[in-house]
Amino acid sequence: MSATTVVRPGPEPGPSVPPPPPPRRRRGQEDGSIPIEYYGLRRGTVTAVTTLCVLFAIFTLVPIAWLVINSTKTQANIFESFGFWFASPFVFGKNFALLFQNVDGYGVYFRWFGNTVLYAVVGGGGATALAALAGYGFARFRFRGSRALFYLVIAALLVPITAITLPLYLSYAKVHLINSIWGMLLPSMVSPVGVYLMRVFVEVSVPRELIDAARIDGAGELRIFFRLALPLMVPGLMTVLLLNVVTVWNNYFLPLIIFSQNQLYPLTVGLGLWSQRAQNSGNAEIFPLIVLGGLVTVVPLIVLFLILQRYWRSGLLLGSIAN
Amino acid sequence: MNGTVTGPPRRPLPLRSLLVQSAWSRRRDRRGFWFIAPFLLFFVVLMLAPLGYAIYTSLYTTRIIGGTVFTGAANYTQTLESGQFWSGVIRVIIFAAIQIPVMLAIAFFFATIFDLGVARYGTLFRTIFFIPFAVPAVVGAVMWSFLLEPQFGPFVHLANSLGFHGTDYFSSGLILPTIIVIVIWEWTGYNMVILYTALRSVPRDVIEAAILDDTPLWKIILKVKLPMVRPAIVLLVFINTIGALQLFTEPLILYYFEPQAISTNFTPTIYIYNTAIAGGQYNLAAAAAVILGVVIVIISVSSLFARRRRSEV
Repeated sequence: MSATTVVRPGPEPGPSVPPPPPPRRRRGQEDGSIPIEYYGLRRGTVTAVTTLCVLFAIFTLVPIAWLVINSTKTQANIFESFGFWFASPFVFGKNFALLFQNVDGYGVYFRWFGNTVLYAVVGGGGATALAALAGYGFARFRFRGSRALFYLVIAALLVPITAITLPLYLSYAKVHLINSIWGMLLPSMVSPVGVYLMRVFVEVSVPRELIDAARIDGAGELRIFFRLALPLMVPGLMTVLLLNVVTVWNNYFLPLIIFSQNQLYPLTVGLGLWSQRAQNSGNAEIFPLIVLGGLVTVVPLIVLFLILQRYWRSGLLLGSIAN
Repeated sequence: MNGTVTGPPRRPLPLRSLLVQSAWSRRRDRRGFWFIAPFLLFFVVLMLAPLGYAIYTSLYTTRIIGGTVFTGAANYTQTLESGQFWSGVIRVIIFAAIQIPVMLAIAFFFATIFDLGVARYGTLFRTIFFIPFAVPAVVGAVMWSFLLEPQFGPFVHLANSLGFHGTDYFSSGLILPTIIVIVIWEWTGYNMVILYTALRSVPRDVIEAAILDDTPLWKIILKVKLPMVRPAIVLLVFINTIGALQLFTEPLILYYFEPQAISTNFTPTIYIYNTAIAGGQYNLAAAAAVILGVVIVIISVSSLFARRRRSEV
């Protein structure tokens, strides 16, 4: 489809006039977009709309800019100097070194960082693997009760986290899973949203005919899944993996409830603890640690998203078509 | 459900081959269960069983003298009659009723702009807007607490210089709007990306036809595009409602910074958390969690039906 298939609504279209040349693509204009001139928009609109984007971008970036700037400051300067500019002394290195130490016995930041990576990779990866299998099963097989099972999984989205986490905590006390990393990893592997999304992705990207053809050729179901379906599911898989990793990385309630030893905490619970303690311990330089700790928590995920954005964009696209 | 293939419409087949095919596919379709089984095992053990255990626990009461005894609906009656619990429920309902429409309006506005390609550097802005999704709620709340802190927060200075002296973002009147702003900051980008991808999938010829009919732009957006992305909007309303009614992390972190701003029953989830962890009343907390679950089902499902039109979802 070329842009010239649209006739510009205007006074000029005489039969002998050749179609107007397609307007130059503006930066930021998507491939395949209808050129905005056809909507009858004036030039000023672009400026006005871009200004609104700038304003919202400022709103979005202000807290992060504050975090970056203040991670280089001493405690006194965080409170006293202008919040949106640097102040001397510049102590980013000193603050960073402190993250490796056990501040006031509350716990070591980089230990929490390692825990978070472990929980996010194993929990998020496990959740994605289970969701890929189940999503494929729901999308490409119909057996007795499969629809009912699928609706049961979707209905689980409605269950409040407290109604799952509190009883888990009570059960953990009985089976010695309190202060065990398995208490965190295993529940993180259950992702009903992941199953829903994977089902949608399979419906869209793995043709039924292809599977049937492979069956007629005598391929086994597992072989079909791993060799044929899985490669076609990659964009969806990456999207679900990212969503699951982020969910575990950001999870606060479950680890808050089940862990009482600070060497098991993920970053979220550790930073929450520091924030809580910061109010009643005036002596330690704990505020700079909270600020820099927050920054170090955020950076890996932002980098991950920027690197993988090609994947999750196309994945989300599929998801939105078929819902 | 009787196990026959009821997929999307297929080419009509002669009756005999249809029967052969359905018998064949029924046998192999049963194998599909084994793809679901691993997830199902985790799902039953780590989600359904705990939920069942929560309901079971809620029917008992643990006393210092006499141990755990069956008390039936007593914990439910106590929660239902508790003004503390309901004031939290009403607060999160007000929160959801303001936060979700405002956020979705902003998200739809920017999604439309990026879909039309009207803004310069659209791709860059889209990426920027999405960044907060990668920020954990804990860190988001910590950042905003610093920014809004009554004594030294830069935003207080800003309010002062604009003539609003003595603005306290953590005062009882402003604490809910403050949390609404924080949550909008966290989630608008995510909602925007989903709406954007939905808008991208609106067939181009539909829009071209509307342009040829001299339809004004606002009408194309509201009367053509909006209805076509309604399923995505319904999904987002549903998901956001469930999340909003369980508001927990943001107010808890604000509580760490400004203890007097957030009460122990500020939201139902905070009430349940305090009842269980600080108060040690697990049975009562379990009953409250079950009631919250029922409230969530009623509100989110009714929001689903309220916006649902025939033949959709």
